[in-house]
Amino acid sequence: MHWPRALRAAYLVTHDAQAAEDIAQESFLAAIRALDTFDRRRPFGPWLHRIVVNRAIDWSRARRLRSEVELGELVPASEEQPELADETLAALARLAPEHRAVVVMRYLLEFTPGEIAEALDLPRGTVNSRLRRGLDTLAEEL
Amino acid sequence: MKRELERVEIPDEHGARERAWAVLSSAFAKRTPASRRSLHWRPALALAVVLALVAAAFSSPGKGVVDRIRKTVGIEHAAPALFSLPSPGKLLVRTDAGVWVVQRNGSRRFLGGYREASWSPFGRFLVAARTNELAAIEPNGDVRWTLARPGVRLPSWGGTRTDTQIAYLSGRSLRVVAGDGTGDRVGCARRVARVAPAWQPGAPRVLAVAAHSGSVRVYSVDTCRLLWHSRPGPVPTKLEWSSDGHRLLVLAPPGLRVYDARGRLLAEDRPPNPARDADATFVGPENYGVVGIRVRGGQSNIFAPRTLFHARGSLRQVTASPDGRWLLITWPTANQWIFVRADGKRIRAISNASSQFESGTFPKVEGWAR
Repeated sequence: MHWPRALRAAYLVTHDAQAAEDIAQESFLAAIRALDTFDRRRPFGPWLHRIVVNRAIDWSRARRLRSEVELGELVPASEEQPELADETLAALARLAPEHRAVVVMRYLLEFTPGEIAEALDLPRGTVNSRLRRGLDTLAEEL
Repeated sequence: MKRELERVEIPDEHGARERAWAVLSSAFAKRTPASRRSLHWRPALALAVVLALVAAAFSSPGKGVVDRIRKTVGIEHAAPALFSLPSPGKLLVRTDAGVWVVQRNGSRRFLGGYREASWSPFGRFLVAARTNELAAIEPNGDVRWTLARPGVRLPSWGGTRTDTQIAYLSGRSLRVVAGDGTGDRVGCARRVARVAPAWQPGAPRVLAVAAHSGSVRVYSVDTCRLLWHSRPGPVPTKLEWSSDGHRLLVLAPPGLRVYDARGRLLAEDRPPNPARDADATFVGPENYGVVGIRVRGGQSNIFAPRTLFHARGSLRQVTASPDGRWLLITWPTANQWIFVRADGKRIRAISNASSQFESGTFPKVEGWAR
């Protein structure tokens, strides 16, 4: 029951289906490993989704660091960025991964701004400003 | 907004779910719940039984290396030639023409038309195979001795500074000869698989061999006593001991397994179909992490266990430097070699890997020695 949302959240942040699958799978495995230390009075979903989103942000940051490689000499000439056919996806692509993550957590996973701030270790004000900027950008695009 | 986010189409969403179900249900079934007393502390190995990921890489040294690589990858432009190695040591490289040694300063020496080779345990010599000949050679090309045997393949040199042994295949039989070329004899196993045997460091004259059935068999070669064996399965393509001899990596595509020195399975990776593990090696300061190459369709990832590096086409090999500080990843699709520093701060790419060795085929790394 948690898989579809975990995969979707990872995909919306990374925009890479293969990476999203890996991230969602690895997050589940990490959760399985940590089950014995998990406080079962707390809901499982938010705990898992927090792992997924943080991993997706990490992956996106790493890819950004590698972009010089991907656009430069290391990549065969045939490499191209995929065309984003979906309007929503294309609009999200206008945002930095960290901003996408905030939007996804708020509107797909239904975290409160306070929960997002805690999960991503951000000040509440930063979460609010990212949400506002994200919505503005998406409104323009959509 | 929620509706918009929920209607975004995810490529192969159903397939991802199926693959995940297979992996996760298996992982959950194999999970060993911790007792109350151990809730706050568990040895790293207790975590290592999780299926589908190379859990050895989760042990603190491995994970540390991996995280550093993943988070702080830095980039340098691809160099047009292999000007130098980023780490002390020397490389042994095989091409369609024969075997080369590459020194730290980038100088390359062609040793002759051998089809396989490997370093001696301390990198002072190498052993190379021609069709009907086994030869011990110095890195400067001087031949120390040769031995004529039919169908020589996959030599492997192990032992201590004062007592070394070479195992090799002659046809489908295992043979063993002393490091000075004397005492050549039939080894302990017949009908072995075509994979280089591996000597256990720290336990002289203990040898891991892959049997034709896919079973890994570990012998004391002096007495031919079978110390342990694994169950039959996919035939391994690589056997590698950790530098302290405490762990054995068995690459048996599509997956891989890690055993301890007594044959207990510590970790296993079974990638979801159609992915496969193409290569793997131990890495990290304590040599307990595992870095692997996973190929799926026309794409490859370096995983450990998360994706560290993504490439179109096939990544072929991953080799750790002797000090464990660098990885050499070979990428035939781009005709490049990629050096990744294990602290994650640098990547060095070398273009035109084939032409470095005047070869029409992509060069294979046979070893990186001190």
